[in-house]
Amino acid sequence: MTEESNMSELLELVKTFTQQGRPVGVSQIASRMGIDPTDARRLVDLAIKSGFAAEASDVIELTAAGQEFVKKHREEYLHQRHFHRGSLAGRLRGFFEGRVTDWHGHWRHHGFDDESVRGFYRSMQDYRGRIEETVPLTNLGRGDRCTVVFALGGHGMVRRLAEMGLTPGTEVTVVRSAPMHGPVEVSLRGVSLALGRGIASRVLVKPATDNRSPPLPGA
Amino acid sequence: MRAEKKLAVCLTGNANVGKSVIFNQLTGLNQTVSNWPGKTVERAEGTLHFQGYTMKIIDLPGTYSLSSYSADEVVSRDYISVERPDVVVNIIDASALERNLYLTIQLLELEAPLVIALNQIDLAAKKGITVDAEKLSEMLQVPVVPTVATSGIGMQELLSKVIEVAEKPGKAPSPKHGREIEQRIGNLEQALKAGLPRLCSRYPPRWIAIKLLERDEDVGKHVEAEGGTWILSVATEMISGIEQLHGEPSSVVMASERYSLASRLAGSTVRIVSPPRVDMDQRLSEITAHKILGYPILAGILGCVFAVVFIAGGAMINILDGVFNGVLVPASEALLSPVLPPIFAQMVSGGIVWGIGAAVTIVLPYIVPFYILLAILEDSGYLPRAAFLMDNVMHKIGLHGKAFIPMLLGYGCNVPACVGCRIMETDRERFLAGFVVTLVPCAARTVIILGLVGRYIGMGAALVLYLFDLGLVLLLGRLAFRALPGEPVGLIMEMPPYRTPTAKSIARKTWVRTKEFVYVAFPFIIGGSVFLQFLSATGLINVLADLMSPLIESWLGLPSVTGVPLIFGVLRKELTLVLLADIGGTFDFSRILAPVQMIVFAIVTMIYIPCIATIAALAREFGAKRALAVAALDSVLAVFLGGVAYHLLSLVM
Repeated sequence: MTEESNMSELLELVKTFTQQGRPVGVSQIASRMGIDPTDARRLVDLAIKSGFAAEASDVIELTAAGQEFVKKHREEYLHQRHFHRGSLAGRLRGFFEGRVTDWHGHWRHHGFDDESVRGFYRSMQDYRGRIEETVPLTNLGRGDRCTVVFALGGHGMVRRLAEMGLTPGTEVTVVRSAPMHGPVEVSLRGVSLALGRGIASRVLVKPATDNRSPPLPGA
Repeated sequence: MRAEKKLAVCLTGNANVGKSVIFNQLTGLNQTVSNWPGKTVERAEGTLHFQGYTMKIIDLPGTYSLSSYSADEVVSRDYISVERPDVVVNIIDASALERNLYLTIQLLELEAPLVIALNQIDLAAKKGITVDAEKLSEMLQVPVVPTVATSGIGMQELLSKVIEVAEKPGKAPSPKHGREIEQRIGNLEQALKAGLPRLCSRYPPRWIAIKLLERDEDVGKHVEAEGGTWILSVATEMISGIEQLHGEPSSVVMASERYSLASRLAGSTVRIVSPPRVDMDQRLSEITAHKILGYPILAGILGCVFAVVFIAGGAMINILDGVFNGVLVPASEALLSPVLPPIFAQMVSGGIVWGIGAAVTIVLPYIVPFYILLAILEDSGYLPRAAFLMDNVMHKIGLHGKAFIPMLLGYGCNVPACVGCRIMETDRERFLAGFVVTLVPCAARTVIILGLVGRYIGMGAALVLYLFDLGLVLLLGRLAFRALPGEPVGLIMEMPPYRTPTAKSIARKTWVRTKEFVYVAFPFIIGGSVFLQFLSATGLINVLADLMSPLIESWLGLPSVTGVPLIFGVLRKELTLVLLADIGGTFDFSRILAPVQMIVFAIVTMIYIPCIATIAALAREFGAKRALAVAALDSVLAVFLGGVAYHLLSLVM
């Protein structure tokens, strides 16, 4: 693992713990990241030195710069997952777009209206859990099971999905998908729902560990 | 006999739970279908006599929720909360209890006097699912009656429970939310009771509080209108508290809580008796929604539908045409001409009698078989599969898969297709679908394509015209999609299990729709034909045709006599062919028109101004302004394309 991905994982973890209202120290970091306590210590020191985190009486907290880092990381990650998904064209586009600074404008460029951009930022702020574990529903194959983490989009769409039973934490099985970027059929709560490809790609899920097919590579 | 007591009872439930079957079981033939005032949402109403009560039964549209997402939901919720029926019957599907209970919980929040019909217990049993109705009733404190609507089981008991609830008012407890939300609901409720007593007398205060916390726009407007702006700002503060706590939009938090309650209720009442196995339904779904096999099956089914419609329709036309044009029209003429001045005689026999005849002989023979087959497709559950397969194609014109269903209707007749556009969620999508539908060649236009181009030039040419029209539908749909403001909506659609359609339900659907068609279309067809008879009796029609002749002769390259049939075609498109034969004095069209002229004639009739019944349907669904705009656009386009085709084809043919 590179230094930068280690750093982002550390900051994500701190954010997650803080959001859940639990104090986080070096030992928790080490056990959650599966690394040596000394390595964890080194990483935390690096974060403090870079101005991303602060430590007081063994509790690590994010600084404003750290919050900003996590936000950017999540945006970039989701963006890669959604629109530049592994394909050659996507990678080329990603290359030419480079690091995006105007995220609002960029999401609009991908067809999100202002309301959905706001919704997106809200979800980003409130998102609990580790983002690396989620994939868009469209990345799963038939017969795969997963848990809904959250839906990304305008207020109306997210609410409609929730009313149809796609609330966070719901277990969903992919039944089939239509060819040529057609809709995805899923079963949940004893009913089958067809979701248009656009909507399904905005439903972020956590795949079950015992799925037959591994999720498609994300970013 | 003592006076009967009156009860207002409404039926609610998700789509595909057998709601209309129960409605039909209860009301029999005593039903009327109309629209809700100001809304294009169907309102079915019927009456029933039971144990000294006269019950007025209202079938509310099938909904999954009571938010203000679609017109269906607003209608349902307004009816229950404002008109306050004596009893609300909530029909739930025993095999999908959890999802169905979501609506039940919302009905309880609305403090509706509830009776639950636990329907389709037979289908659930087949899937190995049993539901403990008594326990469910105990947990919800609402009567629960197990029913099998298709065979009428449980109807008597359902009705006795309805009377029981009506006679002994007392509401079931509103379901409890999580602690933090419950606290906020309580506070908001107190504020509402103190601040807006008038609103609270109309709606349950607890329900207003819940809806405010869900950011319901409709309820928000009501509160604001009553001068409760300060309550709104309190609610907004509470919402941000909830969102901070849960990390999701408040409406999602509330939906999650309802679902977790539904899941708890289902968990303690549903018993899976036998493990789920691959049944007929799953196997059928597997094949019909298959990513490769699905498409030839779709094409095959549609091919069969049209073949049957045209064969059956053609046969019926021959018989009915003989009756009307051979017997009734001459008879009425003979009867009336001695009595009335000739102009009136002509208007009555040629206008009214002939108009009814035209409507009955040409439209109904195609419409009725089409409706029958459509009802079979609907009841079997195939249509959502077709929509599933066609979703990505429909997205090309900015619509989603559901729009495929009205388009399919359009091939039979554009009138029911315009009405069928109601299944689209937003106004924009409905209008877009309506516009596209008017370009779909209906049975009448197919008659022209086949009867003129197919017969005299060849089936290949007819097919090319068909494909040309399909291309035009896609192109214009796409342009309209670009031109109309608003965002496209994605597909969220339930895929109901396959079922065997029953003859009774098919007959009833066909009957109700045919009746509706007669009501919408017949007055216009008859009125229009009287008007045209008036034009022709006074000679005005020739003046009109003369005015049009430069356009027709030099731009379209058609003989000037075709002007009159084209005007009459507004009434019904296949008339153009009938009148062409009339004017030319022969049924051999090759003596009237050259091949290029046939193609141009077919193109113009195919595209120009939808027939008067379609314009009427458009006006009813989307307003007169939009209907006229569509008609004008189609006409200009038809003349333009016809002229272009003439000039291009003259070069090669």
